[in-house]
Amino acid sequence: MKQCVVALALAILFVFPAVAADTAPIEVPAVPGPATGLADLAALRATVFGTPPQDIAPLPEKVPLLEMDLALPWARPVPAVFWFDRRLRAWFSAQDKPAPLAIVIAGTGADGNTAKLSILRAVLYGAGYHVLTMPSPTFPGFIVSASSTGVAGDLVQDGRDLYAAIQQIVAYLPRKVRITDIDILGYSLGGANAAMVKSIDAEEHKLNIHRALMINPPVSLFSSVGRLDKLYAITLGNGDAGVERFYQQLYAALANLYRASDRVDLDEDFLFGAAASILKTQAEFSTAIALTFRIALINVFFAGDLYSGSGVVVDPRHPPNVGDSMEETFRILRSKPFSEYFSKVFAPYYLRHRPNSTLDELIAENRLEFIGDALRGDPDYYAQTNSDDLILDAAELDWLKRTFGARIQVYDHGGHLGNLGDRQQVADMLDMLGGRWKRSAQ
Amino acid sequence: MRATGPLIVLLLALSGCASQEVRYRHLPPDTPAANNAVNLEKAMALAAQAASAAKDAKPGAAAEPVPVTPADAPSLTTYDPWGSFNHSMYRFNARFDDTVFWPIANGYRRLPSPIHAGVHNFFGNLAEIDSIINYTLQGRLGRGVRSLGRFVINSTFGLGGLFDVAEKLNLPKAPTGFGTTLAKWGMHPGPYLVIPIYGPSTLREGIGLAGDYGASYAVNVADLYRGNLSWGLGVLNAVDKRANVDFRYYASGSPFEYDTIRFLYVRKLLIEDAGLHRQRPAKIPNPDQPAGE
Repeated sequence: MKQCVVALALAILFVFPAVAADTAPIEVPAVPGPATGLADLAALRATVFGTPPQDIAPLPEKVPLLEMDLALPWARPVPAVFWFDRRLRAWFSAQDKPAPLAIVIAGTGADGNTAKLSILRAVLYGAGYHVLTMPSPTFPGFIVSASSTGVAGDLVQDGRDLYAAIQQIVAYLPRKVRITDIDILGYSLGGANAAMVKSIDAEEHKLNIHRALMINPPVSLFSSVGRLDKLYAITLGNGDAGVERFYQQLYAALANLYRASDRVDLDEDFLFGAAASILKTQAEFSTAIALTFRIALINVFFAGDLYSGSGVVVDPRHPPNVGDSMEETFRILRSKPFSEYFSKVFAPYYLRHRPNSTLDELIAENRLEFIGDALRGDPDYYAQTNSDDLILDAAELDWLKRTFGARIQVYDHGGHLGNLGDRQQVADMLDMLGGRWKRSAQ
Repeated sequence: MRATGPLIVLLLALSGCASQEVRYRHLPPDTPAANNAVNLEKAMALAAQAASAAKDAKPGAAAEPVPVTPADAPSLTTYDPWGSFNHSMYRFNARFDDTVFWPIANGYRRLPSPIHAGVHNFFGNLAEIDSIINYTLQGRLGRGVRSLGRFVINSTFGLGGLFDVAEKLNLPKAPTGFGTTLAKWGMHPGPYLVIPIYGPSTLREGIGLAGDYGASYAVNVADLYRGNLSWGLGVLNAVDKRANVDFRYYASGSPFEYDTIRFLYVRKLLIEDAGLHRQRPAKIPNPDQPAGE
């Protein structure tokens, strides 16, 4: 009998380490309200297609680009399957005279050279900043090369990892670069990361970051992501059938458009035109948004599972090796919601590593209210958002307005980042970062 | 052998100042104003195209292609019987690209624009010969004549192909190759195949590449493919092609990149194949059969 108990305990420890660590099932709190948050059809459309080129703010002719690959001294051992992610990659654009430095952080799962970052880099460079663009701490390249845990998505831990990585990068900027001031900004999750980095710096003073700007930030990470989970469940269902159905419809639509066209090559221009003619309804935009987010989450889930040894899709005793087929793992992960990452990987890991912490505290630490005093009291925090952003609900938008007072600008259109780079957003952003913002409270 | 020394120096110079902690690579400057102007032009062309398509729509016209239905879509999984070789080759290509191919292409892109634009146009013009041959083999004579017209115009008024004058005369390039000819003749794409240095392909497309090279070698315009300069020109052509492909291995940071590229490449090829046979109903796939099998 005793042997059976020992065998069972060993089985639990090795096969189900996450369960062994905390046998009580962890539930993610349900998100109230509509899955599309404050967004209507126009907002969803703007979210998918972004700012039209005719509305983009004036851009400079040329922006120099330096790619920096850093091996960080505290990097954890690199799992075989991530052999290509040993170095952290960031991009730097230098002015040829002393200038303030703007550090820009990407949104969920994105690297430091996205189209959105290119626009922000261009307008900031045009306004006289040195610009450093950083990947999101949820980008797999960052998780492998710079994360101290490998389990991404915790606002505090990610903020600390980002803060350390930024210090290292700033130390290695080309010697001729003269920095007069440092500001930090980010979009979507990157906005929340930027605010967290500034709040850490306010205690540690290693960078002396002056102003922070959050563009379309979430107020609660888990509420925003929970809303996107819900959107996925509504549009694509919980299993794989919905994804297959959507793929088949998309394939047929693309094939028909291509057959009807005069084109030789199915290139980027064709796909851009096809997207405009295929995506038209609220359901289609919702599906595209939900699927895009889910795909961004797959890497976070996989890396977190691998590093924490949770055993959800990666057998901790036999982690995948270089050259192994990952198709089946990908298939399993695409039907897994964020709530499962939270309950089976994220929460067990952080509860295990913060012994005095509770689930409620973990959730609370991932709300902006965690640094609410700083956001309310420090005049150097700013925010921009939209009244139709799908990652917010009315209470969260209200919280942002109350917290930032005169230091927030709320636009009445744009959805989630669908007005990034437009003339008004850029003019306001530059006023905020330049200390010229004098708008009254909304 | 004599070329090895300068080549190593060139590679080190082009790959930037590397150290253990940090590696710097200067990229060509971004050109945001020009990029946005191009995006605006494309958006306006798209809007005009949509308006004109709505105006000219004639339901039931004779040349309407047979519609592809969702049931015609291939499986979400992809046929990859040579997966082990392909994975190794993808990894080799990624390493080769990061340390040799991309740094050289990056250095090339930093040369003054008229130089790399001229080189690109020159090789594009030579490729028109292959397009003329293949459009003819595909029975698409109108397109073949267009390629011939482009070749004649650019070789004369475009100073041996250094300038794409034909593009300005509303004759945009539309290259084709032997892989497409084989597809037009009904050949199946075959298994997915990652070709050394070149990248994602299939067996048919690989044969197509060999056919394209064979045709160029046989025609041997101005002795460029068999003369003393042929190796140098071949390398320059490869560097120019790489410099014009906006892709970096593992820029996604994702361990699923191989599978994602394979998925997208095979679907793109299958859709292009469906476009070659507009009047033929798409083959209804077996749902358990991986795409491309």
